[in-house]
Amino acid sequence: MSASLILILSACVFLAMGVPVAFALGMSTLAALTLGSSFPLMVLLKETFTGIDSFPLMAVPFFILAAELMSGGSLTTVLLRFASQFVGHKRGGLGYTNVVGLTFFSGISGSALADAAGPGSMMIRMMDKAGYDRPYAAALTAATAIVGPIIPPSIIMIIYALQDERVSVGTLFTAGLLPGLLVAVGMCIVNWRISTRRNYRGDGERPGWREIIETSIRALPALLLPVLILGGMRAGWFTPTEASVVAVFYALVCGKFVYRTLEWKALPDILARSALLTASVLIIIGMSASFAWLLTIEGLPSMLAEWMSAQDFSPWTFLIMVNVFLLLFGLFIEPLPGVMVLVPILAPVAAKLGIDPVHFAMVVIYNLTLGMITPPVGGLLFVTSNVSRVPLGPLVKELKPFLLAHAVILMLLTFVPAISTWLPRTLGFK
Amino acid sequence: MNTFERYFLGANRWALIVLLGSMSVIIFANVALRYLTNESIEWAEEVARHMMIWLTFLGAGPVLRYGGHIAVDNLQDALPRQAAIALRAVIWLLLLGFFCFMIWYGLLYMERTQFQTTAATQIPFAYIYAAMPIGGVLLIIHWLLITRSYLLERRFAQDAHFDANASASL
Repeated sequence: MSASLILILSACVFLAMGVPVAFALGMSTLAALTLGSSFPLMVLLKETFTGIDSFPLMAVPFFILAAELMSGGSLTTVLLRFASQFVGHKRGGLGYTNVVGLTFFSGISGSALADAAGPGSMMIRMMDKAGYDRPYAAALTAATAIVGPIIPPSIIMIIYALQDERVSVGTLFTAGLLPGLLVAVGMCIVNWRISTRRNYRGDGERPGWREIIETSIRALPALLLPVLILGGMRAGWFTPTEASVVAVFYALVCGKFVYRTLEWKALPDILARSALLTASVLIIIGMSASFAWLLTIEGLPSMLAEWMSAQDFSPWTFLIMVNVFLLLFGLFIEPLPGVMVLVPILAPVAAKLGIDPVHFAMVVIYNLTLGMITPPVGGLLFVTSNVSRVPLGPLVKELKPFLLAHAVILMLLTFVPAISTWLPRTLGFK
Repeated sequence: MNTFERYFLGANRWALIVLLGSMSVIIFANVALRYLTNESIEWAEEVARHMMIWLTFLGAGPVLRYGGHIAVDNLQDALPRQAAIALRAVIWLLLLGFFCFMIWYGLLYMERTQFQTTAATQIPFAYIYAAMPIGGVLLIIHWLLITRSYLLERRFAQDAHFDANASASL
């Protein structure tokens, strides 16, 4: 027990000091091993390597790379124009275009980053030019980019499935579809209210049928990718990792031969950027793997599970407690270390209380993802602020109604398990 | 940027590009071959996995350089300048110590695994685990190169292609 105590306390101290998360977790594991446990220090290395040496995990770099390949060039423009033809002419039309465009783009990207930095930043510029308040455009983008990790593919879901053997990547991917659409609807409602109040005007005429059909055909390759990924996994054609590498080459072919905006000489930069992002993600995974291993071996998760079931909590009470805890946790910690460290502790308890693992996973993932847009620490806020050049203050102020909408959706997800579980069950994912 | 720094960065960058590029090609070739010829490359998965380990540790240094390892900076921002610099000096030393641990124990771990070989390619595991001590050396070099700007103003090197908050917004 003393090792768990040292582990958690030292991690808190290192994190508060401002030590990078990956190394804070590694250093606290080292401290706990040295001071409070009889294991040799070598297990730190062993568990770190084991954490990274995983074929399912390789879907992470590949989905990152696929999104990077797709987000340069005209594909983004095509997707946005495709979204715009349905909603662009309405009042607040560019706002809806932003939401719908990002939702489509989430079917290609596995992260909120790609959504906000790609089509998101493009939409912020367009909305600004059309007379929307720039901070509002940035807030709408940050709040909507949350669908990136909710709608498949999703990097965070791949990592979650590695941490909890009760759920598979395919099931989580499918489970994310309805909640993702729910988020899109929620953001549209906020956009409707604010656009009415501030009289943000629509974007001219609705395009003619000819144009609609042309744009739709142009957008088709991009829209088909998520179908290919989910369908291929469901049909057993390929594993999630293989699906991700198929996505890479699909993106390459699309960018090079269909949209013709990808240049060979841009490839090294794209690869380097994806590799850096991969390294920053995997080093956290490796270090937190040894952290979580020590926590588990010292028996904290099972003790917590026993204590929880002795308290005779109802599943609902537990879910509420988890939500409150994760929201507080998410104020300071990002989803990735959150999933790595907390899922091994919380998921067994939830399963013991009879909560559907897929339902629980969606609640945890959505909740932790919200941590990216809740100040004071929110990676997505910083990224959006960077690409839009809107300072954090005004951005956070405009974010309030969106956060309220997200809170309502979080409650819906928490209390209506069917939103997460119905679709994967209907489609036969296990 | 002096000559050493430029070549060092360039070499590190190209190593990452080659690793990620080869991983993609190997795994894609494996999937394609399985469907076209019903045969798969026996070593594909293993080699790609081990390349991913190398990618992680060779990439950790440049990520450090660009400030891409996410951290909670609120306490530092709340402190007066002198205190914040002192705190960063402590962090600087702690990280340096941890990187030295990675090198030292990484070498020990290599020594211990030098006679075990991988399943498909039959190469000693030590070649794969060498990623950690070598990554540790790279981390130290990158860390030393940005010491001044980090200590004084928590400023990292800029890169037009890499957003420091990237891994915080997955």
